[in-house]
Amino acid sequence: MRHKMLVVAAILAIVVLGIGAVSAQETYTIGISNSFVGSEWRTQMIQNIEDTAAELEEALGIDIELVIESEDTDAAGQEQQILNLINRGVDGIIVNPGDAEALRLTLEDAVAQGIPVISIDQEVDGEGVVNVVIDQSEWARISARWLAEQLGGEGKIVLIEGFVGHPANTARMTGVEEVLADYPGIEVVGRETGSWDQATGQQVMSDFLASLPEIDGVWTQDGMAFGVLNALRTANPDVWPIASGEARADFIQAWGEVVEENPDFQTIGVVNPPGVASDGLRVLVNLLQGKMIDAEQLAGPYGNTLYVPLPLVIVSEDFTYTDMEGNETVFEANFDEALAEAAEMPSAYTLDGMLTQEEVDAFFVAE
Amino acid sequence: MTTRTAPSSTRQFGKAFSRYPWLYSLIMLVVLLVINRSLQDNLFELFAVNGNLRVWLPAMLLAAGQTMVVIAGGIDMSVGGILSMCNAILATQIPSDATAERFITVIAISLLAGLAAGALNGFGVTYLRLQPIVTTYATSFIFSGIALQILPEPGGRLPRDVTTFFRNPIGDAVPVPALVIVGILIFWYVLTRTRFRQYLFGSGSKAEAAYATGVPVSRVRFTTYLLSGLFAALAAVALTMGNGTGNPRAGDLMTLPSVVAVVLGGTALSGGRGSVIGSLIGVAILGSISNVLSFAQIDRWVRPLTDALIIVVALAVPGVFALVRRMRR
Repeated sequence: MRHKMLVVAAILAIVVLGIGAVSAQETYTIGISNSFVGSEWRTQMIQNIEDTAAELEEALGIDIELVIESEDTDAAGQEQQILNLINRGVDGIIVNPGDAEALRLTLEDAVAQGIPVISIDQEVDGEGVVNVVIDQSEWARISARWLAEQLGGEGKIVLIEGFVGHPANTARMTGVEEVLADYPGIEVVGRETGSWDQATGQQVMSDFLASLPEIDGVWTQDGMAFGVLNALRTANPDVWPIASGEARADFIQAWGEVVEENPDFQTIGVVNPPGVASDGLRVLVNLLQGKMIDAEQLAGPYGNTLYVPLPLVIVSEDFTYTDMEGNETVFEANFDEALAEAAEMPSAYTLDGMLTQEEVDAFFVAE
Repeated sequence: MTTRTAPSSTRQFGKAFSRYPWLYSLIMLVVLLVINRSLQDNLFELFAVNGNLRVWLPAMLLAAGQTMVVIAGGIDMSVGGILSMCNAILATQIPSDATAERFITVIAISLLAGLAAGALNGFGVTYLRLQPIVTTYATSFIFSGIALQILPEPGGRLPRDVTTFFRNPIGDAVPVPALVIVGILIFWYVLTRTRFRQYLFGSGSKAEAAYATGVPVSRVRFTTYLLSGLFAALAAVALTMGNGTGNPRAGDLMTLPSVVAVVLGGTALSGGRGSVIGSLIGVAILGSISNVLSFAQIDRWVRPLTDALIIVVALAVPGVFALVRRMRR
């Protein structure tokens, strides 16, 4: 009897230990902090993290547990999110900060406790924080350069910008101004905020059309470009101004409809990828696995930013882009492919792009 | 014998609850903290306590000021606006290399700005006899407009010494926000031991009767708006010393919670009854609800709904007790 019990106990022990050995694979608990819900971009951002986490689990044989804190809140509420993630003992944090400066010290506290912090979409001036973002100025310079070239460097244009005072808007408008400085023949005859909102963008453009005698070009962006296009379709002036566009599915679809009526119509959509979230997760997992970021790759105003290359520029004719250093990049016509992709997506979907693991590894010191 | 003692003890409870309307809130907070603790092992460790109190402190200061206005029969919908305005002043006028003298001067200026804002509210409500809710809602746009004028985009950075002092427990033991909370309690204790107590509660419950018995109702109400403005400025100081920067919209989402906290704390919106102690507990209740939902990992899409439902239940509890008592009778 006693022998049997011992045997059973031994078998049980082996089984338990065996299971233990199998499940001893590394588990990373990763906290996500997001302070703005109700935008498709943010939904895609979180979806990208979930998808890439699943992919990394498979590829690396690890477990990734995501703790997602996502609600509409102010800086104090987001600080509470971060504190809760720290108190929960997460291994790393990915944050899209609503107010980067107000969260700086709390994110530094996390880093001081040995929790690596990746800020996506916004750059934080925090010691030890790593920013994974696109270069917002460069993002804006591409479409501004395209517009200026389309106009042949001459004409009257209006600018419709996002939230005045928002860091991304400030960076974008700086980029636009830098490009326009190269074209003395272009005169800005109107500048107004469209609040990154389609309806507001449409209203602002309608007002411009009604009040300004001559508009040759419009530079606008995210969300508002669709409003501008709607305003143009409604007013249908004899000669349409040339307008920059965006990369959301509904805009691309409308672009396709306009081209059917007017084959000469052109615009440009530069993708601001929610995929930076996926890139941020890959950077974080690399850090958790003990890899070191190559200091040469860090740039930006605070010297702690990894700039993710812009994944996609949608144009219907080849466009040779010249950056501020004079380097040329050719963006090949890809509108038909974009239209095919957009046709299958929900209207607020942003055409996306993300780095591969190899591209992310290039930010790190080779082993 | 036993049948007699039972009702008398319930009556004593009833007495205690009507004397201290915040007892319900305290019980609610304890329940929430027990739940929170079961989900979060380190809830009562220093880092967590310090962090929670730091995040809650500005809301507590706003709610404390709001309480006095409400007890005297008014309401102040401009506290968030005043906070934004003072936050903008502090963040723009205290550079990261500011001297101690400069730091103190700017704090004094922002407290004065808070008092001035309160005086404007008080003037509109008590002397022009405008509706408190409309007056203060309107002035809130003046204050947040001034905030945007002073600080069009988020920014500014206080000296590191200031934020380090404020964010780290003194002697690795006492969180600075805890000391401020003790300060609020002492203020309330002293206030309710002066004649102002009768004036305050009298102006709220039976204003005409109070006036007839010599209570200077208008002056009392004016004073409560002054105090509310001052506390909103103090809230801005706490916020700015905590995160070291300014945001012209910092107070946008803070006004309504201050009213909810006051009500959760057992203060009657009809005036004449309430306590600052309850409002501080009310803020802790709101904060704990959100922490419990966070640690329970409630799905993010249902969280706003759950949050709201719990607040409604919390608000309804005293009413349900009162209903049961009436039905027993």
